Amino acid sequence: MIEVRALTKTYGGQRAVNELSFTAPAGKVTGFLGPNGAGKTTTFRCLLGLVAPTSGAALIDGCAYRDLASPRHHVGAVLESTGFHPARTGRNHLRVIARAAGFDAPRIDPLLELVGLQSASDRRVGGYSLGMRQRLAIAAAMLGDPEVLVLDEPANGLDPEGVSWIRRLMRIWADEGRTVVVSSHLLAEVAQAVDRVVIIRDGTLVTEADIADLTADRVTVRVDRTDAMLDALQAAGADHELLADGAISIAARDTAEIGGIAARAGVTVTELSRRGTAETLEAMYLAVTEAGGQ
Amino acid sequence: MIHLVAAEGLKLRTTRLLLGMIPAAVAISLAGVAGTVLVHGGGDRAVLESAKGVRQVLSATGAGAILVLVVGIIISAGEYRYGTADDTFLTTPRRHQVLAAKLAVGSGLGLAVGVVTSLASIGIAAVLYSTEGATFPLDDAEVWLTLAGTLVYTALFAMLGVALGSLVRNQVLAVTGALAWFAVVEHALVNLAPDIGRWLPAAAGQAIIRTPLDGLLSPLAGTALLATYAVAIALSGIRVAATRDA
Ligand SMILES: Nc1ncnc2c1ncn2[C@@H]1O[C@H](COP(=O)(O)OP(=O)(O)OP(=O)(O)O)[C@@H](O)[C@H]1O
Ligand SMILES: [Mg+2]
Repeated sequence: MIEVRALTKTYGGQRAVNELSFTAPAGKVTGFLGPNGAGKTTTFRCLLGLVAPTSGAALIDGCAYRDLASPRHHVGAVLESTGFHPARTGRNHLRVIARAAGFDAPRIDPLLELVGLQSASDRRVGGYSLGMRQRLAIAAAMLGDPEVLVLDEPANGLDPEGVSWIRRLMRIWADEGRTVVVSSHLLAEVAQAVDRVVIIRDGTLVTEADIADLTADRVTVRVDRTDAMLDALQAAGADHELLADGAISIAARDTAEIGGIAARAGVTVTELSRRGTAETLEAMYLAVTEAGGQ
Repeated sequence: MIHLVAAEGLKLRTTRLLLGMIPAAVAISLAGVAGTVLVHGGGDRAVLESAKGVRQVLSATGAGAILVLVVGIIISAGEYRYGTADDTFLTTPRRHQVLAAKLAVGSGLGLAVGVVTSLASIGIAAVLYSTEGATFPLDDAEVWLTLAGTLVYTALFAMLGVALGSLVRNQVLAVTGALAWFAVVEHALVNLAPDIGRWLPAAAGQAIIRTPLDGLLSPLAGTALLATYAVAIALSGIRVAATRDA
């Protein structure tokens, strides 16, 4: 499990991460979403002990990263800034990490095969494509068969086949009981793969929710007089929520029933639809990114 | 700790760094020795065979150490240049252990280079002495003391480089700074303030390899001083690594 508690990181007076708290439980894929510059990478670097937080804490199974007994065995990370020595071969890159981590018999060949680099493994990384480097970084993260996976935009540079491959991998890891956190600035990239979302903007938490809670079947309605409709829904005892785009989202009702409530309240319905999980999430994320762009 | 040293060794062996730098370091040393025999001796047996002459010739073996220092810088600062520092610190979050392993590998490399250059320079010197009609005094203690100094000197220069590269993470800056120091800055300082000259790193190094110059410290004092410089810079490097973001 990953716990971020009131984490703050300041760069030259500017707060890249601001009092951020969230948890990512074991056995789930947690999507860590936010527009460019929201503070995702900074949060991960604090979590991994690469950057010292200004205040607050980021813990892995209750421990700071540097206090983990065998970090590579406990946590696998793919970071956007990670580099490779251009003259070192892919295989040697993995051998160096395994040696330093004290792994006696690292399973390097099966890993290279898993990430699809077996034929390129004895070539220098300097000649790898962006996607091949990303695959090598994923192999490096998995060297220690870690319980916790921290993936910063892992789909970067991967082709569509690669993107769906990484989604399947994350699913498998979570189903095996591992903790998986994956960041992205693109919802579509991870939407199908996550069980839980943490959305941040300007270093601050916007939403933290399990997808199941977020998107139980809902009906969305748009009306001419929103206030009157909200009152009517309140009176009818319907679980509802005003969305950022002005529509109202109502839990588990069928459309006819909502139309009836609107009619009795004397408001005109301009749009009435069932919104699935993906659409609700998308509307929510769109509202966040649009607000961030203002 | 052993596996960290092994990993640092593997890092070195899996790049092409040593392929170019080590032969170049050995070549510089040998050229220095050969040049000293030919120029300094000037065909005069007596000069060549004197204790001072032997020291002059053999201390030129230290010339390649500057490249070993550059290798040391690259061992440390190269991690930031190529962005491999992240992976290194993910594996070993206690960063002083990484620097300790790098110092160990650097000093081992320096010793190895020192051994190779020392043996090669004895060979070159013996051959050139005989072409000059002189005899190289292989049984003279001067020879072996000077060569022992070369081993220590090369190892300490490697450690100095590793330490420097951990403090100044910009590899280009660290290399140019170090080269400028040893080529220009220290000489200028010595001319400005001769009294402090012997306490500066290059002069401490010259003392270790028994260069026949006036005013140098003893070889042991020079060793202690250069080691102190390396340790002081390494400790600052550890402070930087522990407090600055990677
Ligand atoms: N080393 C640094 N020095 C100064 N400012 C920094 C540093 N690292 C990040 N920042 C700033 O912190 C903020 C958050 O950056 P961060 O890289 O964490 O965002 P992100 O969510 O990962 O963005 P992206 O989706 O583009 O990867 C940005 O405003 C960035 O400019
Ligand atoms: Mg980022």
